[in-house]
Amino acid sequence: MMRLIDRVPAYVRAFESYTPSRPDPVLMRQYGVSSLHRLNNNENALGPPPLAREALAAFASERAAVYPNGDAFDLRQTLAVKFGKSPDQFLVGNGSCEVISSVVRAFCEPGDAIVTADKTFAVYEWVARFSGIEPRLIPLREHALDAGAMLAAVTERTKIVFLCNPNNPTGSWWNRQTLERFLAGLAGRAVLVLDEAYCEFIDDPDFPDGMEFLERHANILVFRTFSKMYGLAGLRVGYLCGSQEAVDIVRRTHIAYSVNMPGQIAATAALADDAGHIAATRRMVHEARAYLRDLFDALGIEHVGRAGNYIMARTPVSDTMLYRRLMREGVMVRTMTGFRFPNWIRVTLTRQPAMEAFATALRKVLGAA
Amino acid sequence: MSTDLVIKIDTPSDIAFARVLTSAAEAMAKRRGIDRRESLRFQLTVEELFVCLTGMAAPGQTIQTVLTGKNALLRVAFSFTAPTLSLGALNAATAMPVCAEGEPPQDLGLLLAGKVADRFHIERKGENHFLIEAEVDRTYPPAPPVHTPQDFRPPYAARSAGDPGQLAYAAALAAAAYPAWHCPQSFQTPAKFTDMVEDGQIACVAAFDAAGQVAGLLSWTPCSDHGLYFSGPFVFTPREDAANVARLLADAFLESVAREKYDIILSLRATPDTPPGYFESLGALELCRDGACCPQQVLFRHLREDAGMAVWRHPALETFLRQTYDRLAMFRDFLPAEPPATRQRSESLLGAAFDRKRNLGELRPLLDGEDMVDNLNRHVCALRQRGIDNILYYMDISQAWEAALADDLAQAGFSPKVVLPHGGRGDMVVWQYDAAY
Repeated sequence: MMRLIDRVPAYVRAFESYTPSRPDPVLMRQYGVSSLHRLNNNENALGPPPLAREALAAFASERAAVYPNGDAFDLRQTLAVKFGKSPDQFLVGNGSCEVISSVVRAFCEPGDAIVTADKTFAVYEWVARFSGIEPRLIPLREHALDAGAMLAAVTERTKIVFLCNPNNPTGSWWNRQTLERFLAGLAGRAVLVLDEAYCEFIDDPDFPDGMEFLERHANILVFRTFSKMYGLAGLRVGYLCGSQEAVDIVRRTHIAYSVNMPGQIAATAALADDAGHIAATRRMVHEARAYLRDLFDALGIEHVGRAGNYIMARTPVSDTMLYRRLMREGVMVRTMTGFRFPNWIRVTLTRQPAMEAFATALRKVLGAA
Repeated sequence: MSTDLVIKIDTPSDIAFARVLTSAAEAMAKRRGIDRRESLRFQLTVEELFVCLTGMAAPGQTIQTVLTGKNALLRVAFSFTAPTLSLGALNAATAMPVCAEGEPPQDLGLLLAGKVADRFHIERKGENHFLIEAEVDRTYPPAPPVHTPQDFRPPYAARSAGDPGQLAYAAALAAAAYPAWHCPQSFQTPAKFTDMVEDGQIACVAAFDAAGQVAGLLSWTPCSDHGLYFSGPFVFTPREDAANVARLLADAFLESVAREKYDIILSLRATPDTPPGYFESLGALELCRDGACCPQQVLFRHLREDAGMAVWRHPALETFLRQTYDRLAMFRDFLPAEPPATRQRSESLLGAAFDRKRNLGELRPLLDGEDMVDNLNRHVCALRQRGIDNILYYMDISQAWEAALADDLAQAGFSPKVVLPHGGRGDMVVWQYDAAY
C-alpha cells in the first residue's frame, strides 16, 4: 500500500513545517512568569496610528458576516493616491509572506532558481524550497548583502532576486548608488524584489525609495507591509507595487479575498495620518537603539544594526539557551541560529520599560551563565 | 549524493514467495557490488524474516517488502499487520535452544536472522501494523597509516567537503589523533565513511588551510526526525590554531543545519576542542576502561526555540526528570506512566549494538515482554563477556510503554544519567549500567 508521504514531491518531503511560538499565555505558564515583553517579532509597541484605531473601534461585528472586498479595492485606491501611481500597480496580500508566494508561483517553475542572501528574511528561501525552486544563497559581506556576488550568482535559470532592504536581521542597507549599479548589472535578466518591510524606519536621503526606482525599471517589484511601522501585525496586510505588466502577471497566481475586512479598513485609515505616528515611532526606536548599544558596549557584547526597529547582538553563550533563560525573566527575544547567525539574538527596539526589563534580565542571565 | 537502489514488492503472506524476495536481494547486492559473504547474509536475513512473518501476519494480508541498496549497506523493510508479534529469538543475547535430537529449534529462522544481520529496527505503525527493518553492512578495509600535515598555512576556512579522498584522509586523521570514544565507528574504515557521506547517512564540514590541506573535520547524522548527533570537532592543526579551526567548524556546521528540519543537535562524544559558548551540557556519562572511569560530557543546543512537549513520567523517574528540566529551563508536561500490570507478550525484544573500539554497548527496547528484566540481564552479560564496559540504554519518554519500564531497568542495574531532548520521537532518557552493580 502506498503511503501518503510517497505521493509527495521530494522537495516537499524534505521540507519541515515551521512551528511558530506558542501563544503568550501558554508561554507564560511554561516559563512561570506573569508578564512577557515581546521583543522577538519587531512589532511596534505604539500600536496603529490613531485613525486606524478609530476605524477598528467603529467596525461593527455584524460586518464579519460579509466577505471582504476581494482585491482590497479601497486600500489600493489609497495607496495609489499616496504614491502617485495607478491602483492596478498594487496587489494586497495577507502579509508580505503571501505576496512572496504569489511572485514565486508567477515567475518560477521547478528547476528555476532564485538568488538571495544566506542570512536574510527566511521566507524567500522557504517558499523556493517547498516549490521545487533552487535558492542560491549568497554569503553576506561584513553583515551586508554582497551586490557583486549576488550578480555573479544570476544565471539563465534565475527568475527572481530577493533583496531585503534594509536587511532583516542585520539592518544593513544598499544606498541609491549600490542599487543603481546592481540594476545596471542585472540588466533585466531577472525580477528584482525589493523587500522594504522596514523602510519607514529610515530617515536618510541616500536610502533608495523603491517606489521611485520601479518607475525606471520594469523588472522591480516593491514589497511593503503594515505589520511593522503601522502596528497592524495582527491583521496581516502587506502589498506589492510594480509595473502594471508585472503586477498583472503576479495577480494570476494570487488568491483573491485573502485579506480580511478589518485589515483592509485599518490599513486604509493608517495611511491617512501616518506622519505623527512615524515620527513618534522613529523617536522611540532611536532612543531604544542608543540605550541597547550602551548596554551591549558596557557588557562587551558585539552588536550590529543601524536600521529597522531591531538590533542584533552576539552573545557569549548559545542563543537558544539565552532565549530560555530570558523567558524565565519574562523577556522574549529572537534567536538567530535559524538565520544562520549562531549565538546571536535579535531584539526589538521598543519602549523604555521593556528595554530596561531586557537589560536587567540579560545582566542577570549572563551573570549566572 | 548517490541514488538509492529501491525495490518494492507486495506479496501474499505465503512462504512460496520467499524465493522471489531472495532473488531480488541477491540481484540488489550484485548491482551494488557487495561481496558474496554480505550478499548471502542479506539473502538469509530477508528469507528468514519473511518466512517468520508469514507465520505471524494476519491471514489474507499482504506483506510489503522494500529492499534498499546504498553504497554502505543493504536494508530490507517489511510492513505488515499481525494480531500479535513475538520476536524474542531476534535478541542478540538469545542462545541456541537445546532441543530433542533431530528437532530443529522453533525459532531457528529468527535466531539466524538475528545473528547475521548487523542491526534491526521495529516500529509499531498502527494498532496491529508493524514495520521491521534489518540492515547488512558492506565490509571495508581498515584505515591505512596516516601522517598529519606539518606545515599548515593560515588563514583557515570551513566548508562542506565533497572530495572523497580528502574526506577519507580526514576521517583517518581523526581516528589516529583522537581516542576512539570521540570517533564514529566509520572513521576506523574511512572508505565506509565516504560511502556513508555519499549515501546521505552522514554529513560533514571540513576545515582547510590556505593551501587546501585538511585542517579539521566535524560530522553529523540524524538521530531522530528532530535531532542530529554530531562528532567532533576534530582539529589537526598546531595548538595555537586549534581554537580558531574548531570555531570555524562549529560555525559552518550550525550554518549548514540552521534551516534544515531539525530542532536540536546533540553529542555524546564531543571532543575537548569544542569551542566554549556554543553548546550546553546535558550532564555526563561515566566512561570506564580498564577499571578507571572518567566523565564524558553530553552536549546539545537547540536550532530553534523549544516549544515544549509532553513526556511520560514513571514515578521512579519523577525527581530526576523534574531536576533535569528545571536545570535546563526547558518546559515539559508530565503524563503519568505506571508500571505495566500485565505484559502483552512473554518475550521482550531489545535492539543491541556494540562497538569494541569505543568500549560501548547500546540497548534500545523494541518490544516489551514478561522477561524484560531477564532479557536486560542477558544482554548485559553478553556485552560484558565481549569486554564491553560501558552499556547505555535509551528510553524514549514520548512512548508510554517505554517510560513504564523504569523499574525493570533499575532492577537490572541501570540508572538514568541524562535526558536527550528530541533524541527520539520525543525526549530520550539515557540510562547507564552501573559497572559496580
